[in-house]
Amino acid sequence: MKTLPLPRAIKFLAAGFLLAGAGLAVPKPAQAIPTLNLFIWSDYIDPDLVKSFEKQCNCKLVETDYESNAELVAKLKAGGDSQYDVVVPSSYEIPQLSEEGLIQPIDHSKLTNFKNLITTFQNPSYDPGNKYSIPYQWGTTGIVYDPSKIKDPAHSWSILFDPKVNPSYPFVLPKGEGYDQIGAACAYLGYGFACSEKSQWIAAAKLIIQTKKRPNFAGFVEETPARDQMKNGLIAVSMAFNGDIGQCYADGTCKKLVYFLPKEGTERWVDTMAIPAHAANPQLALEFINFILDAKNGAQLSNFNQYATPNQAALPMVQGILKTEMFTPTPDDDKLLHFVNSLKGAEFKTFNGIWTSVLQ
Amino acid sequence: MSNVVPRGVRAALSGISWPVYILLYTPLALVAYYSFAPAPNQLGHSLHGYGVLMRDGSVGAALRRSLILAFASAVVSTALGTLLGYGLSRFRVPNARGIAANIPSLIIYTPIIMPSLVFGISELIFFNFVHSYTGLLGAGLSTMVIAHITFQVPYIALTVFARLAGLDQNLFEASHDLYANGVKSFFFLTVPVVRPAIIGGFLLAITLSIDDFTISFFTAGPGSVTLPIYIYGAIARKGISPEINALGTLMIGTVMVLAIGQFAFTRIREGRAKLIPE
Amino acid sequence: MSATAQTAVQGEAKARSLRLWITAGPGLFWVVLFLLIPSAVLLGIGFFTADDYGTPVLPLTTTPFGQVAGFSPLGWDDGNIVILLRSLQQALVATLVSALLAYPIVFFIMTRAAAIRPLLLLLIILPSWTNQVVRTYAWLELMGPNAPLTWVAHALGIVPVHLGIAPGAFAVTTGLAYNYLPYMIVPLYASAERLDWTLVEAGRDLYAKGFGLFWHTVFPQTVPGLLSGVIFVAIPAFGDYVVPQLLGGDKELMIGSLVANQFTETPDWPYGAALTIIMLVFTGAGLVAFRLLTRKLGGADEATI
Repeated sequence: MKTLPLPRAIKFLAAGFLLAGAGLAVPKPAQAIPTLNLFIWSDYIDPDLVKSFEKQCNCKLVETDYESNAELVAKLKAGGDSQYDVVVPSSYEIPQLSEEGLIQPIDHSKLTNFKNLITTFQNPSYDPGNKYSIPYQWGTTGIVYDPSKIKDPAHSWSILFDPKVNPSYPFVLPKGEGYDQIGAACAYLGYGFACSEKSQWIAAAKLIIQTKKRPNFAGFVEETPARDQMKNGLIAVSMAFNGDIGQCYADGTCKKLVYFLPKEGTERWVDTMAIPAHAANPQLALEFINFILDAKNGAQLSNFNQYATPNQAALPMVQGILKTEMFTPTPDDDKLLHFVNSLKGAEFKTFNGIWTSVLQ
Repeated sequence: MSNVVPRGVRAALSGISWPVYILLYTPLALVAYYSFAPAPNQLGHSLHGYGVLMRDGSVGAALRRSLILAFASAVVSTALGTLLGYGLSRFRVPNARGIAANIPSLIIYTPIIMPSLVFGISELIFFNFVHSYTGLLGAGLSTMVIAHITFQVPYIALTVFARLAGLDQNLFEASHDLYANGVKSFFFLTVPVVRPAIIGGFLLAITLSIDDFTISFFTAGPGSVTLPIYIYGAIARKGISPEINALGTLMIGTVMVLAIGQFAFTRIREGRAKLIPE
Repeated sequence: MSATAQTAVQGEAKARSLRLWITAGPGLFWVVLFLLIPSAVLLGIGFFTADDYGTPVLPLTTTPFGQVAGFSPLGWDDGNIVILLRSLQQALVATLVSALLAYPIVFFIMTRAAAIRPLLLLLIILPSWTNQVVRTYAWLELMGPNAPLTWVAHALGIVPVHLGIAPGAFAVTTGLAYNYLPYMIVPLYASAERLDWTLVEAGRDLYAKGFGLFWHTVFPQTVPGLLSGVIFVAIPAFGDYVVPQLLGGDKELMIGSLVANQFTETPDWPYGAALTIIMLVFTGAGLVAFRLLTRKLGGADEATI
């Protein structure tokens, strides 16, 4: 037998163990300074704001992104309620999240900037007394389409649901939890966007099932990714948020696209900041919320993500497209806008069951 | 033997195979080609995508996590898997029948055969339960390492087992007499003999870790985004972009260089000393 | 193997089993703790009731299996059966395609000079060493809207204008076959390497040339490799998650995406767990069927645990 290379074998294993030990140890030093784990929609916070918050709090902010409320809820349930310090759910999620015990009440004594909020966003119907949530940004859900492909459609949900309006160009629907989609189908069927009867939901679900069987249905894609696919010319029409389109109008990447609010009615949404039930760092979370509520920071946030601010004190400092009707709806537009019903308990289960069967 | 195959058939085999080889690499080549595009769906040459990549700190962080994940899991699984393969080949009663005798095989084959989605979701729920009752094992890099070790151990055990199964059992008896100690026998006989299998298994474990997406995806936590998760998220979010293609190109390139290098290295060594045939 | 075990005295048997547990124990324990117990928990959840938010609670029930069978608030629907059949079909087609490609490639490699055979085999395996997401999305560059293969498909009139091949069923099949082709080629190559060519020589004297010769002399010898390949391709393809997500666009769900939905988008853990049970039943049935087939046709001739 040849000489036994035992020392080398042991060195090899030992080196490996050391490497593994060093590797696993790496995340630890990060915990030495306080860390705020922010779980937020993608492209929703200005990296410069993150930097100035880190400077102010002498801490580290770790941003993780999600693309849908569903993803947020799923992660919160899968242990995320102890891993994130601030999350940014849409308003209609608040009753469910609080009932499930996934978010904790907010200590208002720490929020010195709360008074900056526009009064309509103080004490909202979805969260009386802002017990669990503080508004972050707000906006509208509408339709974005490529006018070089679909000519002069009526400003109606028919652009999605009527095959005659768009017989051949690819279109998508958001996947999410179905509120916007069922609402849109309800509105198109004449039940109104805020439909709340089970029979109406079922009729709307059946319409969406018909729609997704059309050959030019290109799949379920959330609003923001869909906007990006539209910029790349992959699809011709999709549901969209006003701020997403505002963003790409501002940076000049989607000037040819058109955004409108369907005449049958659509959603007025609010995204809110909330603190998960077992957040490691609730004090830092409150500091962050108060930081966002600051007038100057609120304006910087809106100027970055091109969404409307709920911050009265920030309004004079917002710029460009944020001053147009797309973000400050006219009284006529206002009539089209509805909050989505906040569902909880058995109602939620029924709705979720219906949406599940649409997706399969 | 190849003289049995007629010339016409050989030509037909080549005619089918070369296009398949080309097809295997066409998508990868296109990824590399489009990584030099100035913007999505635009032709041209620029290093824009690579520039974006370099400036994006989260890519570097994701790369670092991917490497930590691959190495940490491979080291632990190599240790566990080597012992497992060795133990089963040396100490298990050969040709034993009955359910009890088959339990180790069942345990070893389950991770290999279980669909990775079921694997990932099982881990997700398990870590979730453990975390909610004990506060331990919150989803993150550590849970990902645990999951990766779990699917790597069987492959290494099988590699080591296969290597040992080809050996004469008397060798072990002789070594046992010589060293009179199981531990010594293990380190002086077994380890050198199975060294190629251990190294091969270690490399295989790293490959498996880098290849995996599904299990990582379901066991990841906040701030534990690895390269595959980053790429998947970016595609779901924005579709394919030059920077994603640039990242893909770098990953493909690294794997190719390493594999070809390793291949050449073993060839040279094999040429130098024909040792125990594999 | 050896017959020492049968003749061993009891003390030696005890020492032997102690050593077995010291060496094999940690690895087995790890897999049991971190995979078998978790998957048992997952399967158990399939018999729990979903609360309003999809979390499993008592009492035990079979409702989730009703949901699997297609009952929902919309009434009964064949959706899930279609998804199951579609997954089976995709897996079978992908397996068939990879088997049909694997045979010529394996024998192409076998007929090359011995020195370059490992290189040719390596070139087959290499793409599978990059990440699954990368090599799957790479196909979007060929089959997405406004991509080369899509232009060809438009010219031939196979795909409606404005649409891409991906997202679509054909793109999923292609992606699956591409991802798992090496898993078919490697075991097939292993059994082809051990081929007894004297049988082929003898066969040439007895049978007609060409396909008949292959079918009667070569093919039977490669069956064990083929069956391993079928298992290695069909099972992961059936439950694949990445390929249908990236190339199928959530349009024509496969069972993997359906399961994942119940743990993400539309939370209902018991329903998701029940779907998992169905998925594993099909996987297990396929496995047992092929195991029996292997025993009948070739027998396990390799050193296996």
